[in-house]
Amino acid sequence: MTRKKTNWIITVLLILGSLFILFPIYLAITIAFKTPPEMAGNLLVLPKSWSFDNFKQAIEMTNFFNAFKNSFFITFFVVIFTVLTNSLVAYAIARNLHKKFYKTLYFYFLSAMFIPFPIIMLPLVKQTSAWGMDNLVGLIVLYVVFNLSFNVFIYIGYIRSIPVELEEAAIMDGASTWGVFWKVIFPLLAPMNATVAIITCLGAWNDFMLPLVLLSDQSMATLPLVQYIFQSQFSTDYNLAFASYLMALAPMILVYVFAQKWIISGVMRGSIK
Amino acid sequence: MFKKITTGFATMALGTFILTGCSSSDSSDGVKLELFSNKSESIDTYKELIKEFEAENPDIKIEFNSPPEAETVLKTRLTKNDLPDLMSIAGNATYGELARAEVLNDFTDSELVKTVQPSYIDMIHRLVGSEVEGIYGLPYATNANSVIYNKQKFAELGLEVPTTWDEFIALLEKVKATGETPIYFTLKDAWTGMISWNSLGANIAGEDFAEKKNAGETSFVKSYDEVADKMLKLISYGHKDNMGVAYGDGNNAFAKGEAVLYIQGNWAIPEILKANPDIELGVFPMPVNNDPDQNKLVSGVDVLLTMNKETKHKDEAMKFIEFMMKEEISQKYINEQKAFSAIANIYQEDPVFEGIKGNFESGTITSFPDHYYPAGMGAENLVQEFLIKQDKAVFLKKMDKEWEKVENR
Amino acid sequence: MKKNHVFMAIALPALALFFIFHTYPALQGIFYSFTDWKGYGSWNFVGVKNYLNVFKDNRAGAAYIFTFQFAIVTTIVVNIISLLIAIGLNSKIKFRKTLRAIYFLPYILSILIIGFIFNFIFAHFLPQIGTVLGSELLSKNILGNPDLAWIGIVIVAVWQGVAFNTLLYLAGLVTISEDLYEAASIDGAGIWTKFWKITFPMIAPFFTINMVLSMKNYLMVFDQIVAMTGGGPGKSTESISLLIYRGGFEGGQFAYQSANAVVYFVVIVIISIIQLKILNRREAAN
Repeated sequence: MTRKKTNWIITVLLILGSLFILFPIYLAITIAFKTPPEMAGNLLVLPKSWSFDNFKQAIEMTNFFNAFKNSFFITFFVVIFTVLTNSLVAYAIARNLHKKFYKTLYFYFLSAMFIPFPIIMLPLVKQTSAWGMDNLVGLIVLYVVFNLSFNVFIYIGYIRSIPVELEEAAIMDGASTWGVFWKVIFPLLAPMNATVAIITCLGAWNDFMLPLVLLSDQSMATLPLVQYIFQSQFSTDYNLAFASYLMALAPMILVYVFAQKWIISGVMRGSIK
Repeated sequence: MFKKITTGFATMALGTFILTGCSSSDSSDGVKLELFSNKSESIDTYKELIKEFEAENPDIKIEFNSPPEAETVLKTRLTKNDLPDLMSIAGNATYGELARAEVLNDFTDSELVKTVQPSYIDMIHRLVGSEVEGIYGLPYATNANSVIYNKQKFAELGLEVPTTWDEFIALLEKVKATGETPIYFTLKDAWTGMISWNSLGANIAGEDFAEKKNAGETSFVKSYDEVADKMLKLISYGHKDNMGVAYGDGNNAFAKGEAVLYIQGNWAIPEILKANPDIELGVFPMPVNNDPDQNKLVSGVDVLLTMNKETKHKDEAMKFIEFMMKEEISQKYINEQKAFSAIANIYQEDPVFEGIKGNFESGTITSFPDHYYPAGMGAENLVQEFLIKQDKAVFLKKMDKEWEKVENR
Repeated sequence: MKKNHVFMAIALPALALFFIFHTYPALQGIFYSFTDWKGYGSWNFVGVKNYLNVFKDNRAGAAYIFTFQFAIVTTIVVNIISLLIAIGLNSKIKFRKTLRAIYFLPYILSILIIGFIFNFIFAHFLPQIGTVLGSELLSKNILGNPDLAWIGIVIVAVWQGVAFNTLLYLAGLVTISEDLYEAASIDGAGIWTKFWKITFPMIAPFFTINMVLSMKNYLMVFDQIVAMTGGGPGKSTESISLLIYRGGFEGGQFAYQSANAVVYFVVIVIISIIQLKILNRREAAN
């Protein structure tokens, strides 16, 4: 048998392709450091000096840290609550799928995946504001609840692969159903929890539509929403705008650089299921 | 790995909590009011005025909010039953709808109404219609839908301000012949097409088109044929990418001298001057007819101040409106914004407006036709589409149909 | 507590919350679609008038055509490109880990902000290139051309969408044993035959999932459009989601757009079912 050699043609093609991915990011970085007069010439050249003035100004103008705090607050709690509650619900359903009620519940959650958000958008906006939920806490509740339909689906597949014998042994030792879940099942779910956490985190951090329609108080705006709100104030100051965009993208890029392998394998695990 | 990240996140979250705790405690004393504005051009002016107001009234905090697509946002807030305390919005169909929904404060008994020029009170009254009585907003600043020109270029090319349509076209031809761009269009933003549309429509189809249209006495097909033709004529004097440039970029380009004329309202002037403080600008009303006496300047209520009927802090909100209506403040507003005042005895003296001053003095003014179109009709997108496809017959029929459709809902 | 009670105590609140925040608004939407409610004030029942109007509405029709054209083209392009990249990443190459990380990067970024960046590229960068190259077509902002603007949105959607689908295909590809290919090589199979006889059947389930998920996502396109064209020029890039948002709130057509949303829902369900049926049958045939 021949051990294959490195395929250089494909390597080169993939490198060229990756330039297409990196180009907008390169452009965003260089423009964020330029000054308006530098925009007149060739857009591809590097900025003359690497000054952080645009960033400073953007931070002040958009109240960046406030938006960051909002995004972080939402994302953090959505991830925590989603992992804790959704796995629990999935467990309850997975262990009772032979019963009609739970089977119906499973398909109920599943079918909701096919309901596009715009359909519930108009009434939901009214309902949440009437109940005083047009704020960050309201957003968190909605994300956690909406996440159920997808997460129950992927958790259940995983839970069903865990042998019931493990639980029975724990019950013999006197553990309650509650205890069995937290002591036996939940730790076993760790890889799946990581997957759900990553996908949930990205979803909550980057979402634009729900904050757009739900939040009216600007001091609650999330990072993407802030970029939208300040569109008209950036006007044609692209340097300022790009500095602001870059800062909004940066937290996720940083996390990605350090946890890239973990994130990719996490998402992959979710998809193999 | 997982554990490390989790602990990291947990620490950060704890930090967030402490931060949140701090920031919410320092704003708890005093009254907080939200001021909603639909004009991105006036953001800086408002921010300054708010600072001044807060200095005078340390117990009131104004939170300023000026989002893009402001009218959609405002309607969303209406649906949510969560209108801002204070609103600075245009006198257009959205105002009419808010007034009819009876969610705005009635200023009929307020002393402030007396300081406003009565003609502007009438103008916003017509927006509301006859079903509802009352004055639900105080006209504050008015605008002029005009043609802005580059004075240096006019002098270089030996041009004079036109007073008739034929002169206007002759001028455009002359500019075109020199190789300069006659008009800078910014039609990527659909609303900018409405500046020409309104000047043409008001002078050709008349101010009462909307009333007649609703009564079934006229239609776009019947009255707007000439308007559509003239729109197409104008667009033939644009640059090579009329549909690809947005308003902000257009202000920059015109400031850099990339065209001789710019069909825009007075609100664009501060933006142009920001991009190039040395440019010398002039304005004139678009000469739509060949009889100079029939050419009126389109002017409307650009900003009216109003407040939520159910605001929890009525007195404080009123205080802000009173502050805004003070003579020196309104003077400052119109000076910075290059706008005109709806308040009696306050005048715009900037020499830029020499060309339309006469219209204000003699009252040869007419209102914006599209302010009376049904909301949600999306006229500007239809006009934008027409300027691309240039299919007059189809377009006019579509305008009629969309109007009726929206009215029927 | 008995075991069954514990499970009930978990399942019932989940059911209740989901019903309150998801199903109940959906039912409300259906209810209001039979009224003339503006979103505030009083209302009356109007029967199926809103539905009849949706079917007669050119603007809604145009939004459906645009949305479908966009979704179908994007789904196909994304899947072709991501399959190619996945095959590339799965072959014997240098820098595999780095390249994989780069190709996956767009997945973690906000679509809205990417849209803003591309908006700049289309408005300023490409025209600059076009002018240098002397290309009439490229020297203009394609987002200002009603016949081309949708392509600009497709480009952004593809730029971002390829990441996730590549990963899915990659997950499928790594399960294929190298031996299969070598056996095929001995039988004299070419690259093309190997792809259709080995690779594609093995990743068919991933292909199905990708097609269905992509299609569903792209039918809801919103962020990209808000960032780049706002539905213009004209109404050439107004998607159904944008129409429901704009018309429902700004136009005071809450009830009417609710009817539109219901129609939209029915359409999506039908498409998803058809897709699953066809793709499953094909898979079974293989």
